[in-house]
Amino acid sequence: MSVIEIKNLTKQFGKARGIIDVNLNVEQGEIFGFIGPNGAGKSTTIRTLLGLIHPTSGSATIFGKSCFDHPEVRKELGYLPSEVFYYDNMRVIDLLKYSASFYKKDCTKRINELAEAMNLDLKKKINDLSFGNKKKVGIVQGLLHEPKLIILDEPTGGLDPLMQQKFFELIREENQKGATVFFSSHILTEVQKMCDRVAFIKEGKIIKLERISTLQENNYKRISLEAKSGISRDAFNLDGVSNFKVKENTAKFIYKGNVNTIIQKIAQLDLLNLSIEEPDLEEIFMHYYEKEG
Amino acid sequence: MNMYLHELKSLRKSTIIWTIVIIALAALYLSVYPGMVKDADGFKKLLGNYPAPVRAMLGINLSYITSIVGFYSMIFSFISLCGAIQSMNLGVSILSKESRERTADFLLVKPVSRPAIVTAKILASLTTIFALDIVFYAVLSIMVNIVNTGSFDEKTFFLINLTLLFLQLMFFAIGLIISVFFSKLKSVLPISLGVVLGFYMIGALISTGNNDDWARYFSPFNYFSTANIIKNANYEASYLITGAIIVIVAIAASCMIYTRKDIHAVS
Repeated sequence: MSVIEIKNLTKQFGKARGIIDVNLNVEQGEIFGFIGPNGAGKSTTIRTLLGLIHPTSGSATIFGKSCFDHPEVRKELGYLPSEVFYYDNMRVIDLLKYSASFYKKDCTKRINELAEAMNLDLKKKINDLSFGNKKKVGIVQGLLHEPKLIILDEPTGGLDPLMQQKFFELIREENQKGATVFFSSHILTEVQKMCDRVAFIKEGKIIKLERISTLQENNYKRISLEAKSGISRDAFNLDGVSNFKVKENTAKFIYKGNVNTIIQKIAQLDLLNLSIEEPDLEEIFMHYYEKEG
Repeated sequence: MNMYLHELKSLRKSTIIWTIVIIALAALYLSVYPGMVKDADGFKKLLGNYPAPVRAMLGINLSYITSIVGFYSMIFSFISLCGAIQSMNLGVSILSKESRERTADFLLVKPVSRPAIVTAKILASLTTIFALDIVFYAVLSIMVNIVNTGSFDEKTFFLINLTLLFLQLMFFAIGLIISVFFSKLKSVLPISLGVVLGFYMIGALISTGNNDDWARYFSPFNYFSTANIIKNANYEASYLITGAIIVIVAIAASCMIYTRKDIHAVS
């Protein structure tokens, strides 16, 4: 059974687009990345999954159950929103204890561990915390009951690079202990390092769902050429070439396909320079983007 | 239970302040009473010079204004106004608070159902209303016994004060139902003040007119007329029932609407 199952999920806000026919499965123990630009429908998908927003049609379940009909499935859920807000006049420790009281188990030990790892002062009032420190409260709050499913909605905003690293370490540890992680972001490098699989969402629709390893496999190459004479677009008019940019004697493009085919093409040119590199996800993403758009 | 206690704690401060304000208001007016009794005729004459509609609006009835219960019924119209504002405020804010303070993403992803959240919040609110009324009535009884010189009908006195609770329950329920229709409520006070004062004005206008039975349904302030309570020592059943229906329907509908509501991300 998949931990997260989203089937034909559509949400419309009046006439405005929300998300259209989203299908996703996240398996047990996986770290799943959910990538898209702002306003693509990442948060809408997540909020429907959490039971904050009702779907127009289709279904979204965690552990096989909808959060609306079975709110108790959220016992195994830890959620970190992109922006965290808590009851301002509470102390951090009181908020965390209040949060823990919903899970009917003793979380004191875990709270202290996490607070120490994140370097968070438990005695302060939430009101007096900086944005980054509030975010830390959010992280501790999301993890203190050792959930089996962790949902993160653009989690790293407001954290300094050191804390980000610490945070990813924590998430990885939880994952190694068996937690499934669902992770939305618009920063690709972040996802690249962490995730097993990744889904791209654009304008409310899933445009691609792939293993990170597949995405980065050798079939994607970033090729830059410098020739003695001018390069024409027609010379590279074959399947798998995209993002073709030419400027007098130099050309740059992304290639997906059999390497031999492209090498034969390149061999026909009188070259001054050639580089073939692994593209990062960003470029692959942009490649999907332009193609689909 | 944890949510109930949490809400109770967060309401504690404002409830204490409101209780003190209402008690202080009553104390202020009651302190005038001994002086007024000494010169009862002069006072009656003074009030008699007011136009009849103004007297009706302020709930002044010349025939018993100098008795403690009659005098108190005048004060009570201000006290019930305060009580109505307090409970309406509570009703508007208690559910919308999570969206306003943007803590909905915290509470609503906990493993509890929305009806359970609504129930805890309503129970906590009702607790504070009851607490306010009980403390107020206890202190008030002491104060009245201090300033009163003659004897007075304690049952009538109790019945008048009990309508404060009824009124508060109605305004609490009205506040609740108003709040669930807003996707994001920015500020509470303008709405609750506006609605309560609006009803108060309507109520005052109704009492200056013929005070028709049907017209009185339009303002909760006119459901329980102190004049009637003083005369008959009971409530008018039709208004009592209407009040109860308003409370029950508004609370049930709020719960249903809130459960189906989409909770949008903070922006």
